Amino acid sequence: MSIRRHPVSALLAFAVLAFLWLPLLAVVVNSFNRDTLMAGWGGATGHWYNLAANDHDVREGLKTTLIIAFASALVSLAVGISGALWWRRAPRRAQAVYDGLVYARIIVPEVVFATALFFLFVHFKFRLGLPAIIIGHSVWNSAYATLIIQARMVGLDPSVEEAAADLGATPWRVFRRVTLHSLMPAIIAAGLLAFTFSFDDVVTSYFLQGTAQSPLPIVLFGLIRFRLTPEVNAIGVLVMLLTVGLMSLAVTMFATAGRLGRSEKRAGFLDMYRR
Amino acid sequence: MFFVVPLVLVAVYSFGSINPVTLDVGFGWTTGNYRAFASTLYLHSLLRSIFLSLGATGACAVLGFSLAYFISRQPPRAQRLLLVAVIVPFWTSFIVRTYSWVDLLQNLGPIDRLAGAIGLTDSHLSVLYTPTAIAIGIIYSYLPLMILPIYVSLERIDASIYNAAADLGATPWRQFRRVVLPLAMPGVIAGCIIVGIPALGEYVIPEILGGGKTLMLGNILANQFQTTGNYPFGSALAVTLMGILMILLFLLRRRQPLQESA
Repeated sequence: MSIRRHPVSALLAFAVLAFLWLPLLAVVVNSFNRDTLMAGWGGATGHWYNLAANDHDVREGLKTTLIIAFASALVSLAVGISGALWWRRAPRRAQAVYDGLVYARIIVPEVVFATALFFLFVHFKFRLGLPAIIIGHSVWNSAYATLIIQARMVGLDPSVEEAAADLGATPWRVFRRVTLHSLMPAIIAAGLLAFTFSFDDVVTSYFLQGTAQSPLPIVLFGLIRFRLTPEVNAIGVLVMLLTVGLMSLAVTMFATAGRLGRSEKRAGFLDMYRR
Repeated sequence: MFFVVPLVLVAVYSFGSINPVTLDVGFGWTTGNYRAFASTLYLHSLLRSIFLSLGATGACAVLGFSLAYFISRQPPRAQRLLLVAVIVPFWTSFIVRTYSWVDLLQNLGPIDRLAGAIGLTDSHLSVLYTPTAIAIGIIYSYLPLMILPIYVSLERIDASIYNAAADLGATPWRQFRRVVLPLAMPGVIAGCIIVGIPALGEYVIPEILGGGKTLMLGNILANQFQTTGNYPFGSALAVTLMGILMILLFLLRRRQPLQESA
C-alpha cells in the first residue's frame, strides 16, 4: 500500500484543520452570547457589538491604531523603495550586507527589538508616544516592504528605462513613469501588508507607547487581563474582519504583481514568517 | 545620498538591538547583571522558556507535517483551497487568537466540560494559566508558519517516488521514514527556525494564557522595563536571549547542508 493516500494521514489532517478553525468559531459564537461568563449558551444578542462600538477606549484606540498603521506603512514604503532602488545598482558586497540587515530585522525577536528601541529613545530623551511607535513599527515593516519590492525589481528589465531615457525622458520622468509604475503592484502590496502588521502589533507598541493613548490591540490586551466579557469577542470579530480583508487584498495584489520564480520564493519566505 | 540615509538609519537601529548595553550611560563594565541572571529564579524561567518553546516547536512540526503532507497530495485546486484555510486563521488578530483559548480552556469551558463528560477528570482540568496553556497557545499561533515551509518542500516531491517505494515493498511506515521525511527535512528545519525564534521570546501568549504567573524570558525582560526599571539587567537578558538564538541558528545552519546532501 502506498502512503500517498493513507487514511491515517487524512484523519490527522482534518484534526489539525479543526484545531486551527474551532477557536475562531468559538470567538464568533461567543460574541453573540448573552451569558456574560460565557460558561454556556445564554441566547443570541447584538448587545456586545453595541457596547464595543460605543466604548470610548476602543474608539480612541482604533483611531490611534489607524494613524500609526497608516504612518508606519508610508515610512516603510519610503525606506523600502529607496533601499531597493539603491540595492539594484549597489556592488555585490554592499548588497549582501543590506540583505543581511533586512533579514536581521525579521529574525531578531520583537521583545529584544522593542527593548532596544525603548533604550535608544530613553537615552536620547526622545519622547515615547505615537512617533516612537511609528518608528518602531517601521523598523521591521520596512524589512518586509524591502523584500516585496526587491522581488518585483528583480524582474524589471533595465533596458526599458534606458529606452525611455533615450527617447528623451528626464530622469525624474523615467523614474516616475517607468520605474515606479512597474513597481506599483509590489508597492501597494507592501503598503497593505505593513499596514496590517502594524495594525495587529502588541509588543512594540506596548514598549513605546509611554503615556499616549493606547492603540487598539493594547486596549484589547488590557481588557483581556482585567475582565472577560463577550465584548472582547465582539471587538475581536470586527478586527478579524478588517485584518482578513486587508490581507486578502495585499495578497491578491502581490499575486498579480508578477510570477517570477525568484519573486515567488521570496514571497514564500514572507508569507511563512510573519505573525 | 537619498539611498544611503535610510540605510544608515537602519544600521543604527539594528545595532541598537544587537548591543543595547553600550547605550546605557553611567554604567561601568561589570558582569553583575549576568551573575544576577544566573540566580536560580531566573535560570529556572530561562530553562522553562527553552523547554516550552522547544516542546511547542516540536509539536508544531508533528501537527504541521501531517496537514502539510495531506495538502501536498491533493489535486491543485483543493491544494489552493486548503492553503487558504491554513492562512486565514493566521491573519486574524493575534490577540484575539490567543484570547480564544481563554474561553476554551477555562474551567466550565467547552474542553473542561467535554473532559468531564467522557470521564477524563473527576473535577476540573484547571489547565488555564499553566505552562500547558502557554504551550497550546504557542502551538496554535505558530502552526501556519510551520505548515507553509513543510508544504513547499513536500510539494516538490515527485509522486512516482512514493509509488516506486511502495512497489519495491516498503511498508507505509518505512516509506514515510526513509523516503518522505528525508526529502521534507529542509522544510521542517526552516519551519522550526521560523517558529522557534519568536516562540522563545514570546511575551503576549504567556501574559494572557499564563495569567502572568508562569513567566517566560520575554515577560521577565518586559517587566524589567515596565515595572522594575532595572534597565541594565533587562538588557543583559536581551543579550542572553540573542545569544541563545545565535547558538541555535548556528547549530541548525550547520546541520542543513548535511541534510541536503543526504
